[in-house]
Amino acid sequence: MPLHEVGYRAWRGGLRPPWTASAVIAASGVRLAWKSSWLRRALLLAWSPTLFFAASFFAFEQAVEEGRLTSLTERAVAGRNLDGVGILGTVLSRTLGTPVRETRHADEAARIVETRRLVWTRLLLAFMRAPQAVLLAIVIGLVAPALISGDLRAKAWLVYFTRPVGRAEYILGKTAILAAIVAVITVLPALALWIAGVMVSPSLAVAIQTWDLPARIAAASLAVAVPTVCLALAFSSLTAESRIASFAWFATWAACWIAHAALATADVAASTERPAAVAEERTVAVEPPRGLRWLARAAGLDGTVDRWAWVSPYHAIGVVQAWIFGIESRPRVVVPPAAALAIVSLASCAALAWRVAVPLRA
Amino acid sequence: MSPSLPAPEPASTPVHLVGVVKRYGRRTVLDRVTCEVQPGITGLVGPNGAGKSTLVRTILGLVRLAAGNARVFGIDPAREPRRVRRMVGVVPEDECTVPGLSGVELVRYAAQLSGLPGTESLRRAHEVLDWCDAGQERYRSVETLSVGIRQKVAFAAAIVHDPPLLILDEPTNGLDPLERQAMLGRLRTLARDHGKTVLISTHVLPDVEAVCDRVIVLAAGRVRLEGSLADLMRSREPLLVLEAMGPLEGCAAILTGAGIAAHCTGPTTLVVQADREGVVDAVWQATREAGVAVRSLEPARRRFEEVFLAAIGEDSHAVA
Repeated sequence: MPLHEVGYRAWRGGLRPPWTASAVIAASGVRLAWKSSWLRRALLLAWSPTLFFAASFFAFEQAVEEGRLTSLTERAVAGRNLDGVGILGTVLSRTLGTPVRETRHADEAARIVETRRLVWTRLLLAFMRAPQAVLLAIVIGLVAPALISGDLRAKAWLVYFTRPVGRAEYILGKTAILAAIVAVITVLPALALWIAGVMVSPSLAVAIQTWDLPARIAAASLAVAVPTVCLALAFSSLTAESRIASFAWFATWAACWIAHAALATADVAASTERPAAVAEERTVAVEPPRGLRWLARAAGLDGTVDRWAWVSPYHAIGVVQAWIFGIESRPRVVVPPAAALAIVSLASCAALAWRVAVPLRA
Repeated sequence: MSPSLPAPEPASTPVHLVGVVKRYGRRTVLDRVTCEVQPGITGLVGPNGAGKSTLVRTILGLVRLAAGNARVFGIDPAREPRRVRRMVGVVPEDECTVPGLSGVELVRYAAQLSGLPGTESLRRAHEVLDWCDAGQERYRSVETLSVGIRQKVAFAAAIVHDPPLLILDEPTNGLDPLERQAMLGRLRTLARDHGKTVLISTHVLPDVEAVCDRVIVLAAGRVRLEGSLADLMRSREPLLVLEAMGPLEGCAAILTGAGIAAHCTGPTTLVVQADREGVVDAVWQATREAGVAVRSLEPARRRFEEVFLAAIGEDSHAVA
């Protein structure tokens, strides 16, 4: 018997309202997920690209500080890559080298402000699309499959639904676990990049000039979080075996990516027969080095119309993020992927709500 | 300001079901069930598939009824399930756990889900685990615990928020005889010292006999028997059982001589027909004449197993 055993005592304290159950589920889920060393490593890895992109912010702001922006732009327009900033020189050079940016501003300060906005936006989009979206898919694939399938296998739903917890609180709590992970991988590093950009810029007034970027970062993160979280939880709820959910998650991404690649390649092959049409679609003057085309595409520098983006979640999310950052605005480019993501999200939510209630009906 | 636990109205019956009908497809699982769970310990017994689990789910507001209504402390669980579940603690029959949590973490989690604040929930979790005698096993992952300890953890999780109504599905499953006695003792303490209403759904009839004040027998979705256990176990025939310190043959002979039917069922046990006035006085007189020391004299009782088997064997709906 314990030394301080006091027998059974009535609980005299107050109780928190039922809606706080979601926060309890989320906090417990994050604590449990954090026990996984794989997740900790993956999150550490997810922050590492921040350093490379921060270097690009620094390189650009240093050029502005030293008055080298004009020469930098001229080199970019001439099709030369920018030295000293690694692979992200491609993003900088192609952003600065885009013909529409050749317009000369009478006011040098206004030109700097506009150029900074362009460069920062492209860098942030490239950051969110290229490394972070891929890492996000991997990390969610590590965490999400067990969230509901584990509860089904261990009959944990009895722990929840015999208490003042409804389906909505349960789903919200589980969603919040993944939302927290998404925030750690996308929102926080992107915001850290923006803050780093402000810190290395010549003036803190830059924060005011780029005030909308944090909001766009949050919106772009939401664009990636909503469909991925809904889909991952839906897969998890469809089976009591987390391995199957995990396989379904990665298989979906891979299969859709391959399908998109095949369709896009077929389009490119077809377009060689009508070069005039392709030329009409392109707005970029400088061709990136062959190995870096993926980065240019991620930064929204590839002006071609990707009419198959809706087939692949990765590409669809990228298009929507480009729209959020103000880089892509053509409705025929944006609407199909946005609609596809909305349909996937809604269908996943419906499946989730239905599946979570199944044990109660049995 | 956080709302406090809604205090049950003293006048309202803990659980009151009227004409409850629940169907899964074409199968009727609960068929016009009308019953009450009153303060104290009530046993819910019935064969497999009788509808006990569905009845429990009805009380928790987890199922949609085809007809009838349920009230838990006067509240309709179908309309206000969260309010009802705040007042109910459940130990499910199925082993259920949250993977990855230790015993104490699970109880704390249950407390938090029921609305207890963070720090207090941990203190309270340890307190109830101490009371349940969970020992240091509480720090092990729930998946690795023995069945008995897991049962204690599940019980602790059910009572951690101090609910006025406790529903336990096979609470002594997997417990050794000592632990079983301890568990039944805890139920008695909760019911008698703390005013809890306890509903035990079980197949273990000796458990029902040991702790229950009332019993509901359910079979094929219908209430076959409901009432006080003492009343139900009373013999249908007017018989008295006399227990004495020595042999009762002489006493039996005296009673038979007086025209009262009596026969020994053991060396120190005598069953007497008490179908007319004055039998008790005659028994006392006979014991004095035979010179035996009386240990007890009480109305004959049936074993609960007999009552149960008779009830589920009946086709008609009989409410005692």
